[in-house]
Amino acid sequence: MKPHEFYIWMSYGMTALALAAEILALRVRRARSLRRIEEERDLEAQD
Amino acid sequence: MKIPWFYFASPSTFYRLAGWLAPWFFGLAAILGAAGLYVGFIVAPTDAQQGEVYRIIFVHVPASWMSMFIYFVMACYCGVSLTFNTRLAAMMARSLAPTGAMFTFVALWTGSFWGRPTWGTYWVWDARITSELVLLFLYFGFIALANAFEDPRRGDRAAALLALIGIVNLPIIYFSVVWWNTLHQGSSVKLTGSTMQVAMLWGMLLMALSFWMYSIGASLTRVRAIILDRERRTHWVRALAA
Repeated sequence: MKPHEFYIWMSYGMTALALAAEILALRVRRARSLRRIEEERDLEAQD
Repeated sequence: MKIPWFYFASPSTFYRLAGWLAPWFFGLAAILGAAGLYVGFIVAPTDAQQGEVYRIIFVHVPASWMSMFIYFVMACYCGVSLTFNTRLAAMMARSLAPTGAMFTFVALWTGSFWGRPTWGTYWVWDARITSELVLLFLYFGFIALANAFEDPRRGDRAAALLALIGIVNLPIIYFSVVWWNTLHQGSSVKLTGSTMQVAMLWGMLLMALSFWMYSIGASLTRVRAIILDRERRTHWVRALAA
């Protein structure tokens, strides 16, 4: 890899980070959607 | 065989179908990605002119391709959504935008880290690079506009219009290296053939396929969350979350 290993790893590292961040965001989004449904259902049950 | 389009266009049916399909696409993306990295780092030889730094193309070129392809597919969904007033098409367009923006960012980032050792600079206001940056702003604009309205259907329509106007940027990106005198090199891979060494080409194609499968998996996963948000007051979603 030398002498350009810094550029190669910065490229692959950011790609891996971006993919991991999106997968995490997808999980958070789904959990948020399910929580919102539960909250609305609980509110209606209270009424 | 006649495909029952209206049956699959129903959010409740598509929610289940997407949930079944997404893990397969993520699995395929992982296998193709591992194969692409193996070919790219182990099989493909060192480039005679650029040395090892050329290996950045195994993520840079597929990410650039996906950034444009996802925008094209997103604009098609927007066209269908505006023409036929279909809810699912608008939801699919929304689900594609963040993945497209992510690949556009990766294309710009990796291009920058490839440009520094080869051109001597991280950034230049070259036609290809600038039009790719415009694509990133179009994705940001689409996401912002789609979420700017209280009524999601109004957001869908406004964002769809922007996506359809912004599609003019795609041929500008693709042909920028032909129309203008740019620092960015011309295409090495065309529909008519390639000037690349075989292992290098295979490494790039495998990574492109991996990113493609990943994009489908991610958009299917995201559209499920969008469906849950939009249909949260329906019986089938209430039953699902119970």
